[in-house]
Amino acid sequence: MASSNKTHWLLHVLFIFIACSTILPIILVFMVSITDETTIAQNGYSFLPQKISFEAYRYLFLDSMTIIRAYGVTIFITVVGTLGGLLLTALLAYPISRKDFPYKNGLTFFVFFTMLFNGGLVPWYLVFTKLIPLKDTVWSLVIPGLLLNGFFVLIMRTFFATSIPMAIIESAYMDGASESKIFVQIVIPLSTPVLATVGLFNTLAYWNDWFNSLVFLSNSKLYSLQYLLNKILLNIQFLAQNSRNTNAAQLMATLPTETVRMAMAIIGIGPIVLAYPFFQKYFVKGLTVGAVKG
Amino acid sequence: MFKKKLFTLASTALVFSLAITACSSAPKEETSAGTTAPTKEAAATSDAKGASSAKDLKPYKLVMIFPSGVVPKDLQAVQDEMSKYLTEKINATIEIRPIDWGAWENKKNLMFASGEQFDLMFTASWYGLGQEVAKGQIIPLDDLIDKYGQGIKSVLDPAYVEGGKLNGKSYGVVANKEFAATKGVVMRKDLVDKYHIDLSAIKELKDLEPIYKTIKENEPNIVPLQVKNDRSPASAILGYGMFDMLGDGPGVLDRESNELKVIDMFETQKFMDTVKLMHKWYQAGYINKDGATNKDSEFLAVKAGKAFSYGESMKPGFDMQETRNTGMPMVTAELTKPYTTTGDTTSAMFAIPNTSKDPERAMMFLNLLYTDKTLLNMLDWGLEGKHYVKAGDNIIDYPQGVDAATVGYNLNLPWMFGNQLNSYIWKTEDPKIWDKYKEFNSSAQKSIALGFVFDPEKVKNEIAATNNVMTQFTGGLYTGTIDPEKYVPEFVSKMKAAGMDKIIAEKQRQLDEWAKANKK
Repeated sequence: MASSNKTHWLLHVLFIFIACSTILPIILVFMVSITDETTIAQNGYSFLPQKISFEAYRYLFLDSMTIIRAYGVTIFITVVGTLGGLLLTALLAYPISRKDFPYKNGLTFFVFFTMLFNGGLVPWYLVFTKLIPLKDTVWSLVIPGLLLNGFFVLIMRTFFATSIPMAIIESAYMDGASESKIFVQIVIPLSTPVLATVGLFNTLAYWNDWFNSLVFLSNSKLYSLQYLLNKILLNIQFLAQNSRNTNAAQLMATLPTETVRMAMAIIGIGPIVLAYPFFQKYFVKGLTVGAVKG
Repeated sequence: MFKKKLFTLASTALVFSLAITACSSAPKEETSAGTTAPTKEAAATSDAKGASSAKDLKPYKLVMIFPSGVVPKDLQAVQDEMSKYLTEKINATIEIRPIDWGAWENKKNLMFASGEQFDLMFTASWYGLGQEVAKGQIIPLDDLIDKYGQGIKSVLDPAYVEGGKLNGKSYGVVANKEFAATKGVVMRKDLVDKYHIDLSAIKELKDLEPIYKTIKENEPNIVPLQVKNDRSPASAILGYGMFDMLGDGPGVLDRESNELKVIDMFETQKFMDTVKLMHKWYQAGYINKDGATNKDSEFLAVKAGKAFSYGESMKPGFDMQETRNTGMPMVTAELTKPYTTTGDTTSAMFAIPNTSKDPERAMMFLNLLYTDKTLLNMLDWGLEGKHYVKAGDNIIDYPQGVDAATVGYNLNLPWMFGNQLNSYIWKTEDPKIWDKYKEFNSSAQKSIALGFVFDPEKVKNEIAATNNVMTQFTGGLYTGTIDPEKYVPEFVSKMKAAGMDKIIAEKQRQLDEWAKANKK
């Protein structure tokens, strides 16, 4: 069929285009990061640097301890936060997915409400500094705002409610399984797609988080990787806006150069690009609904 | 059926999530050893110097915050050394907390909101001073300065202290530094020498024209004048050069006028002449073509060998600073005489927040920054032998094997703290720099509105609207990209539509009130 061939071909072109539009910027950033600084000032960015220099990376690794430590912090919060977040999300989502759970509506509303309204930055800060003393601890990067997300709870709840047949749960109960056993041995294994989805979101959220570092940390040893990068950008932005102030203009000169910023971005991307393929295998597994005789 | 068990499961989740948070280790108690109220009895016995009475004071931990682009590696070591020194002087220890420029606003407000103790904070008229005073976040310092700040008084010129007051009270102690700005251009020395350019002949903007012509004709690959989307020689000499801008928003004061009359700068002949000249230069090819959209600092173009000069706000030693930035020798030419406005007397201050548990002690510390050379230089440059070595009287250099990039203490903010004229001078700087500062300050013309601080609160919306219009036009006008004959009238009418007149009227009202209160 000519027409289907044509659509095939169109689809291919479309996807090639989309793939390029995501990959090319990253390649460009990488190329800029290994370009000589003066070459950039003269000719701007280019995919094929006229003069290659690894000065930016050398500059960054002068102080390699800072980056290595930030990497450590980010990996720690990503692993701990993703696992903990998944566990808590599932533990909360499962009961409210069950129709025979008496407090279902109240609890669901309780979760839903947090999605619509929040107390604002200051009360949020007060809760996690005064009520629960997390300030300047690594837990301040794990818990506030990231660990349990109302939206993910509702996604999971919907999945449990629609994809796990009640019949399975009842039959397991008949066979003498306890409520927690059913959850761990039957519901969880059947829910890999949603766990993978939420897990991936969590991973990305933790990896990319810089706001918690900004708000809760004054000890620079605990800064997450993204905040290291982000604070440089925020500083540049601020000083650029205040360039009329002589002192601010003076500070501009001390900030990392264009190539260093790009090198930081490349380092910041790091292993996270491998996260998606890792989760991929859970996405493609079909949902098992065939365990019950109809 | 099994409702009960399900409920346990759900509650386990909730309890568990609380348990996790509760398990995290609590940070160390922030408050100082046992002082909850200002130590009045100690204060009564201490004299201004504080040295002899250090034993009479209770131990106290001062917390100091200020914005900085870097958190030095050896901060802890310097802090310990300073604490040791301060314990002898005023029986206090100190914690220094540099906060990123970009995070400052958020962090500062959260610290105020949570009421945690901190005792000293940086502030400036361009950095939130007005708001902090309006919200009552920082305390008036007049009494404290009288009691414990005699050293500050002996160092600072009273005119600058007056000029830094809000509603007749001092809310911050200004760093003793340059208190004026002069506007001009910075040029490449090698080309100035090559074409025998006589710098002393440059008196105003139009004197640069023949120079640019020479460069244009003889150096085809070099742009004579590099500009940036929000800065050019035009914007420099108009703003705080020919006019006192009186803070945010439109409405300015002519430098040559003797009465406190707020006018619209964009309708003045001076403005028109200046932007016309820029446009003429732009058409002649003296200005970089991407000026209106270029966001990069001008010195980068010089560094890359693409440009000859750029406009700047200057102070003594500026040629040295720019030489460092561009990596080649630079010279400067002044286009206006030094001018002192409120912006200069409030440009770098330390204030005492209302969360301080011992404001007296904070003031004693500030006082030391003005009188005690050892302490000031510790804060500025770190530890002798480790972060710098003496290379003469007041002259310092990096220790062997250390340079600006690797030094463990690189705050590099001497303009923020205390008496800058007491800070050591790097070997690469002009050794006479502080004398030049003094001369510069005393030669400056003081604005007749010195000390007036505009509070934009009532016309916030108009200011936002006019700022949008300005963003649209001023870039093009200052960089010479668009034709003033055609666009200035349109610009002015749009500004009026955005509420410029209301802002000017409000400024005038506040200025008149200020004049009445200060008997000007």
